[in-house]
Amino acid sequence: MTALDGLTRTILLSRDYVSDDLTDDEICLNLQSVRVLCVSDLQNLLSYSGQTALVTLVSLLGRMGMQVGLCIPEVEMVGPQPPLTMGPLRAMLLTLSENVIAGAFVRRNLGFQPDIVFVLGDTKFDSQQLFWRLSGEDWAGSLKMGETRTESHAWRSTWTAGSMISAALAANEAFKFAMRRLELRDPKSQIFFETSRTSSFDFGKIAWSEGAIDLGRIDVISAGAISQSALYALLRFPVVRMSGRIFDDDITAPSNLNRNMLTLADDIGSTKVQLIADACAPRFQLQPIKARFPDAGSGEPASHVVIGVDDIPSRWAVQRRSSGWLAVGGTSHFSISSSDHSSTKPCCGCLHPVDDVAGDIVPTISFVSFWAGLAMAVRLLRKCIGQEYGRDRQHLWLTPLRLDQPHAAMWLPVAPTPNCPVRCRASLAQLCRS
Amino acid sequence: MNDTVEKRKEQEKENQEKFAVQIVYNGVTKPLDVERNQHVTVVLQRAITLFGITQNPHLLSLFREDGSLIPETDTVERAGLKPGQLLLLRPNAVKGGVLKLAANIVPSTFQVFEDCGRGECECAVFWTGPAGDEIVDGLKHPVHERSPYGYHVDSNWLTDFWKELAASECSVKVQVHTHPGKAFHSATDDRWPIIAQDGFLSIVIPDFAAGPPTLSRAWVGRLQANGNWQQLESAQEAVMIP
Repeated sequence: MTALDGLTRTILLSRDYVSDDLTDDEICLNLQSVRVLCVSDLQNLLSYSGQTALVTLVSLLGRMGMQVGLCIPEVEMVGPQPPLTMGPLRAMLLTLSENVIAGAFVRRNLGFQPDIVFVLGDTKFDSQQLFWRLSGEDWAGSLKMGETRTESHAWRSTWTAGSMISAALAANEAFKFAMRRLELRDPKSQIFFETSRTSSFDFGKIAWSEGAIDLGRIDVISAGAISQSALYALLRFPVVRMSGRIFDDDITAPSNLNRNMLTLADDIGSTKVQLIADACAPRFQLQPIKARFPDAGSGEPASHVVIGVDDIPSRWAVQRRSSGWLAVGGTSHFSISSSDHSSTKPCCGCLHPVDDVAGDIVPTISFVSFWAGLAMAVRLLRKCIGQEYGRDRQHLWLTPLRLDQPHAAMWLPVAPTPNCPVRCRASLAQLCRS
Repeated sequence: MNDTVEKRKEQEKENQEKFAVQIVYNGVTKPLDVERNQHVTVVLQRAITLFGITQNPHLLSLFREDGSLIPETDTVERAGLKPGQLLLLRPNAVKGGVLKLAANIVPSTFQVFEDCGRGECECAVFWTGPAGDEIVDGLKHPVHERSPYGYHVDSNWLTDFWKELAASECSVKVQVHTHPGKAFHSATDDRWPIIAQDGFLSIVIPDFAAGPPTLSRAWVGRLQANGNWQQLESAQEAVMIP
C-alpha cells in the first residue's frame, strides 16, 4: 500500500481549493513533508486526559500522512488508548509509525527539524518556532499560539472530550499549514487556511459524577469513519459500558486509513464490524452484523441508535423504523453535521430531505470525520446521562478550519419540513399548518 | 434646498431597499448587500461568488438560524430577511438529487390522465425541465395508442419531441403513467423507459389516476447504474412538491 492509496480522499478534499495544475503526487508529497513535533513534560502526561490529547493528535496527524516527532518522557498508559495496546505510552505511539499511512513516521525527536510544534498544557517550552499549546477542561478544548505556560495549566481533567477537541483543533492547524504551501485555485480561498492564533470549542458542561454508567443497548449503523470516531471517543470514558449491535457490510480498504480511528494498516481486508467489535471489547459488547441496516434479520432498532452512514435513504430507513432516539453524524467536505432526533423533535428526514444520487467518492480528512464522531459520542453520553441537548442545539453545523471565527460552529434547531421523506410527526404538523 | 431634501429622501429610500446580511460559509462570515425585491436565487448566486465556491455550488442553499431553508423562489422581502441577519450557506442535505416541481405539474398531470385515459385506459406524460437543472416546469402528453393494459408512444412524435427538447435546451426528467389497479413497475416498464440513464425517475399512478391528485399512492422508482430500478419509499425522496 502506498501513501497515495491511503490519502486518496484527503487529496480529493484538498482539490476543493488547490490549483488544478497540481498532481495527486504533489499534494501527497506536500502532506508527507509536514513535520510536526509534539512536546510534553511528565506532569501533563500523568493524566488520562493529557495522554488522550497526545494519542489523538498523533493519530490524526499520521492519518494525514505527516511526520511526527515526539519530545516526551516515557510513562505508562493510565487508561486504554485503542487501537494502541496498553503499555508504555511513547513506545506504543511509536508503533503507529507507518502503521496508518505509508511513509508517515512517528519517531523520537532526535535530529527532528519541525515545521510546527504542539505543546501539551503548561509544559515548559521556549522557542522562536511556530507553536501552539493544547489545553482544556472536561468538555471544552482550546489551542493557543505561542502562549506562555503560566496562562495554561497541566492536563488534569476527569473527562476526555476537551482533550480530543484540542487534538482535533491542532490537527486542523497542521493541515492548514500544509495547504498554505500549495498554490490555490482562487486566492480568495486563502482565508479558509489562515492560521488561527486561538481556537476553541465547548460541548457544554455535563453534571456527571464519576460513577460507572451503562449506556444500555445501542445500535451502531455503519462501521465507517464517523462511527469509529464516536466509539474511539466513547472508549476514552473508562466508566462507560454498552452493548448492542454494529451493522456494516464493508471490508477495510487502504482509502479508509486516512480517517478510521480504530483501524491500522494491518487491518486492511478485514471485516469492519468484526474489527470494531474486537477493538471495543470487552467494555462494549457489540454484536458484529455484516449487513446493511435494515436487513431481513435486523428486527426492531434499539431504543438508542447512532448513525454514521453517508447514505441518506439509509438514515431515513432507520428513522422510519425507530420509535426511540437517534443521533446522526455526517460530513460534507470541511464541515460536519451532527444532530439527534426523537419522536418529539423533527426527524433526520427534515434535516436532510434530499437524497444523494451522485455516488461519487466522498472527499474526507481525519480531523473532520473525527469531529463528526466526537460530536455524536457526546450527544449519546448526554442522552444517557439525562442531559440531552434541547431543541436549540438539535443540530450542530461545524467547520473546523476557522474555529477562531464567531460562526464556525453553529448550534441550530431542526426545522420541520413539509417535504420530509420520512413524514415524521413534526413534518406532518408543519404540512397541516402550511 | 428642495434638491437636497429630495436627494436625502431618495437616499433613505435606497437605504431601505438595500441592506447587508451576513453569510457564513466554511466557518468564515462575510457581509453581502441584498435588495428587498431581489430573488433569493440571486442572493444565493452572489453568496457563492463571494466565497469563490466552485465545488458543487448547485447543491448549496441558504439557511436561517432557526434551521429553516430560505426558499429560492421567494424575494428577499417575502423571505423576511432583515439587515444584519446571519445566513448559513451550506449544502441542502449532504448532496443533491431531488427534483423541484412547479406548482401546477401534479394537478395538470392528473387532469391529462382524466381527459385522455377517462378512467378506462392507461396514459402517460413526460415531465420536462431545463437541462442541467433539477427543476420540472413542463409537461408533455405524447401521441400514443392506449388500452386498459398499456400504452405505446408514437415514434414520429418521439422524433419531433427530441428535436423540440434539443432546441429548447430541456430534458425529460420523469416519466409518469397510469395503471388500471395497483401501482407498480411492470417488466415492460422496467425494460423500456423513455430515458435509460442512471438516476432517471419513473412514477406509476394507480387506478387510472381516478383518485385525488397526489403522489401519495404512486409507485416511484429510480433507475440505477446497473440497469435495475430501485423503488423509493415515497415520492418525497425524489421530488419536492411546492
